[in-house]
Amino acid sequence: MAGKIRRPPGKKSKGPDVEPLIRLQGLSKTYDGGPVAVEALKEINLEIYEGGYVAIMGPSGSGKSTLMHILGCLDVPTYGEYFLKGQEISRYDSDQLARVRNREVGFVFQQYNLLPRLTAAQNVELPLLYSSVPIDRRKEIVAEMLAKVGLVDRGHHRPNELSGGESQRIAIARGLANDPAILLADEPTGNLDTKTEEEIMALLDELNEQGRTVIVVTHDDTVAKHARRTLHLLDGRIV
Amino acid sequence: MSFLALLGLSVVTLRHHKSRSFLTTLGIIIGVMTVITILSLLEGLNRKIQEEFSSLGSSTIYIQKMEWQVGPGQHRLDFEELRKRPNFTVEDAEALAKLPSIEAAVPSIGKGVGTIKRLGNEAQNCQLKGTAEGGDLTGNWVVDQGRFITREDRLHRRLVCVIGSYIAENLFGAENPLGQTLDVDGHRYFVVGVLEEKGAMFGQTQDNVIIIPVSTYLKYNPLPRGWRAIWGGLSIEALPKPGVVLEKAMEDVEELLRLRRGLRYDQDNDFGLNTQQMIMTALQGITSTLWIVMVGIAAISLIVGGIGIMNIMLVSVAERTREIGIRKAVGARDRDIMIQFLMEAVVLALLGGLIGIIVGIGIARLVSVLVKFLDAASPWWTIALGFGFSAAVGIFFGIYPAQKASKLNPIDAIRYE
Ligand SMILES: Nc1ncnc2c1ncn2[C@@H]1O[C@H](COP(=O)(O)OP(=O)(O)O)[C@@H](O)[C@H]1O
Ligand SMILES: [Mg+2]
Repeated sequence: MAGKIRRPPGKKSKGPDVEPLIRLQGLSKTYDGGPVAVEALKEINLEIYEGGYVAIMGPSGSGKSTLMHILGCLDVPTYGEYFLKGQEISRYDSDQLARVRNREVGFVFQQYNLLPRLTAAQNVELPLLYSSVPIDRRKEIVAEMLAKVGLVDRGHHRPNELSGGESQRIAIARGLANDPAILLADEPTGNLDTKTEEEIMALLDELNEQGRTVIVVTHDDTVAKHARRTLHLLDGRIV
Repeated sequence: MSFLALLGLSVVTLRHHKSRSFLTTLGIIIGVMTVITILSLLEGLNRKIQEEFSSLGSSTIYIQKMEWQVGPGQHRLDFEELRKRPNFTVEDAEALAKLPSIEAAVPSIGKGVGTIKRLGNEAQNCQLKGTAEGGDLTGNWVVDQGRFITREDRLHRRLVCVIGSYIAENLFGAENPLGQTLDVDGHRYFVVGVLEEKGAMFGQTQDNVIIIPVSTYLKYNPLPRGWRAIWGGLSIEALPKPGVVLEKAMEDVEELLRLRRGLRYDQDNDFGLNTQQMIMTALQGITSTLWIVMVGIAAISLIVGGIGIMNIMLVSVAERTREIGIRKAVGARDRDIMIQFLMEAVVLALLGGLIGIIVGIGIARLVSVLVKFLDAASPWWTIALGFGFSAAVGIFFGIYPAQKASKLNPIDAIRYE
């Protein structure tokens, strides 16, 4: 991963001639599974450039997670278009979406979502298994990722033997394994104490400094301050 | 994910639920066990039948008072009628021997004489048999030393005997039996011939015979009367000429006997023509019945086993919804999840199959030890069949749960409690 440095921050051009990494156009999401349809996102237009560091804030229920899930291809929009690297992906089939989740985005959840029966190293290895990386290379990458999040000595531990902060670092390492362009973190420090929160945010800062696009959802102003751009969501709209 | 990685994953997952996995596979175990046990025994039985029938003069026609009651579907017996049937005579045999389609026809009669002793040695469970010249052909005997019964022996009612290999070994040991005497049933016989070993037929040795001229036999043994005469009286063994079809020879025998007995066209035969072919056919009938039973039991238990696997896989999919969501979130495609769960179902089924094969072979071996004339043979294809069946059950009943798992929406799955 070291050495794969993207465009340095601050030098990114926002001219109309450069295709943004992410572009949403009139994107809406309606949940109509329940008794009443919920319009979680309404006509969202958004552009995020490569190397960006964006915080998404907003009250609970404003649609932050929904937006993140769509950005991470874990869910699909009801209307509108989502361009990733210039490709319109909202009409991708499930195999193509799986490939995007595998290669283009790393997702970090508030609840870590590690597989409890696998070791930390095996959790980090998971995305590599689904991109058919040969075993020797997998071991190398896992070691590299564990080093990057400062947990070389925790590889053989199971998630129940890790602290919250360590679990979240492992989750970040997993998110980075296939060297995705974007790291999406939905309230990554929501379950952590202030000190651990600082450590995790420092890690995200570092990743962004190395050129990775980082998008982080938070309630917390101190977290949002780490980002260079902050979006506010209210009732499914960007305000 | 690579095949090996998936296999490892299935094994780890199943090990996590050892007793549940075992219970789930019980149906498969029983199904495969049944198939393997019955197939092994059938195969052993078939081999045995072929072996034993090849040791007999299998085209000999046994002309007796009634037909052998072999196999299912026999009509009720009228013992009054059977009792009244006329006896066969030595003349009948002589007349049959003259038929162009018949090579040899000899009278035959016999009884058990129990244990015979000679100079401190004994032979158990001996059979005394009266027959005539040519009886070696119809009985498929090969004379090892000396000679068989001759016409002169019969005409002069000589006290001579030809003995089976079991008798020769047990009563004479290393001695040459020829020219020696043997006391049987109150009479002293000269041994004029020794027969080659014939082997056992359904666990019963055939080499315990003492063959004497039929005339000598009849001189000392009155013909049985009443119902005993149905089986115990004189019968005739006829061997078709080489190259003559058995059915043709049987027709000729039937026609001649009807003629000699003056039966009208509307009267039924008052005798029975029996062949070893009939036993063969009957045994094949048993074999095919066993096949049907086996297929039935196997099918039912494999279906039950399959449903068990489907059920446990559905439980497993529900329990692991979050895991499925997480795997999808990091890039697993629908078919990766599908294969993962299918593999688990197949490994589970194969595990049951393996246990079933081992237990099945064990039971078959045990039965063949307990039942003397039954051998068990478990050729490789029965084992392949066992594995094949269980894999097929795993795939067939694993598809639905695997499909269900693979179609889950990633975010719904992750959020599932
Ligand atoms: N699967 C769902 N089904 C129905 N409604 C949902 C679902 N997920 C979220 N919602 C609704 O959509 C709105 C936005 O939710 P969410 O994106 O989770 O908000 P946030 O992350 O900002 O708290 C909320 O009103 C929520 O109840
Ligand atoms: Mg949320």
